[in-house]
Amino acid sequence: MRPDTWHLFTNPSVLGFFLGGFGQTIFISIAAIALSFALGLLLALARLSRSRWVRWPATGCIEIVRALPVYLLIVYFGIKGSSLGKPFLGPDFDMPRFWGGVIGLSLYTSAVLAEIIRAGIVSLPRGQTEAARALGFGPIGTMRLILLPQALRLMVPAMMSQLTTIIKDTSLVGQIGVFELYRSARIIYTQYFNPIEALLFVSFLYFGICFTLSQFSRRLELGNQDAQRVRKAALRSEVA
Amino acid sequence: MPFGIIFEYPDQYLFPGGLWVTIELSVVSLLGSLVLGTVIALFRISPLTPFRVIGVAYVEFFRNTPLLVQLFFLFFGLPLLGIRLSDDAFEFNFRAALLGLTLYHGAYVAEVVRSGLLGVDRGQIEAARSLGLSYAQMLRFVQLPQSFRVVIPPLGNIFTALVKNTSLATTIGVAELLNAGEVVESRTFRAIEAYGAVAVLYLALVLPLAAGVNWLERRLQVVR
Repeated sequence: MRPDTWHLFTNPSVLGFFLGGFGQTIFISIAAIALSFALGLLLALARLSRSRWVRWPATGCIEIVRALPVYLLIVYFGIKGSSLGKPFLGPDFDMPRFWGGVIGLSLYTSAVLAEIIRAGIVSLPRGQTEAARALGFGPIGTMRLILLPQALRLMVPAMMSQLTTIIKDTSLVGQIGVFELYRSARIIYTQYFNPIEALLFVSFLYFGICFTLSQFSRRLELGNQDAQRVRKAALRSEVA
Repeated sequence: MPFGIIFEYPDQYLFPGGLWVTIELSVVSLLGSLVLGTVIALFRISPLTPFRVIGVAYVEFFRNTPLLVQLFFLFFGLPLLGIRLSDDAFEFNFRAALLGLTLYHGAYVAEVVRSGLLGVDRGQIEAARSLGLSYAQMLRFVQLPQSFRVVIPPLGNIFTALVKNTSLATTIGVAELLNAGEVVESRTFRAIEAYGAVAVLYLALVLPLAAGVNWLERRLQVVR
């Protein structure tokens, strides 16, 4: 313990530094969830496809990516992202660590979100599809106008609890050298040798946002049995 | 042979060295978190308010902060607080990782065990109490055994997550699978092969485990 460094945590410029890291954490999380929602939606639709040539590869991708540690993906894309793009985008291509980390994180999250989205669509009664088809909607129209709007509402709590997982996982993006909340603590404690105080301080910030979000998602889920089922169907994602 | 590097550093790095450390970390911290989680779950359903408060605080704090921050807290914090897990540096890293993984997953285990315990019919508890069993006996002979069946599949899910999370131990210098991959990559500059081999070894651990959990889940559901 370093009581002589406690004044740091009331110093406005140090607090501003932590706030910058906090903002960066939020930015990474939002970028990751936006990217992975788009990719996850595609994967979920592919997994629900009637053609097995689309369904099987999508299932394989989802299951394999979900079984990999997210840190492996972040390390791989964060460090090797530039050399991966060079054959396609020319020898001068350079992927910043930031986007490499975000891509690794979103790749993993998209597999999880694909499962949540699929569970949401599957949980709707068959009559919805049949009624839509009988009214003359095509397969795309049925999905876009009938099934997805209903399924999305059921997925909100599960996706919010996934968001808390993403916020915690941004610390892994910090570990490969991107500035964010955990990294800001690391920068402080390598200068002032106060890891206990600095890490406790950021863990309270992490706790504040993750706890609020998880309570909010629990509140939304309360009394909504379908939403609870959707979350349970994608349960493997809950610990991360 | 591009994937020859899996075997190029035999029994020192990737295979079986790193794989073995990952398995060791997973199994030992699973056992630890089962014990810890059960204790915390008993705290959470205790009739005494202070115990319940401790249980809730523990679970919510450890679930809502990143595992990475917890690991670094233990890694730097324990020596500063005067707690010496081991005199050997490598052994210290390993034990700190073990402790961090146990504490983090113990919180998840506690939630699962708690919901299993609450799932036991109230009549069972009341009947046991009125037959003259003490609270401890009731837990031991009635409530805990009946919750096992419900608890097994979600515990399996926690175990798969735990195996994947052992990869974070590389950040505090434990020579597990991902760390071995990083070493091989930095020596050979063959990232695709090194990380590919790590990925394959992780899949070899996690996919059968996940399949097993799915199978158990279906089997236990029929019995219920």
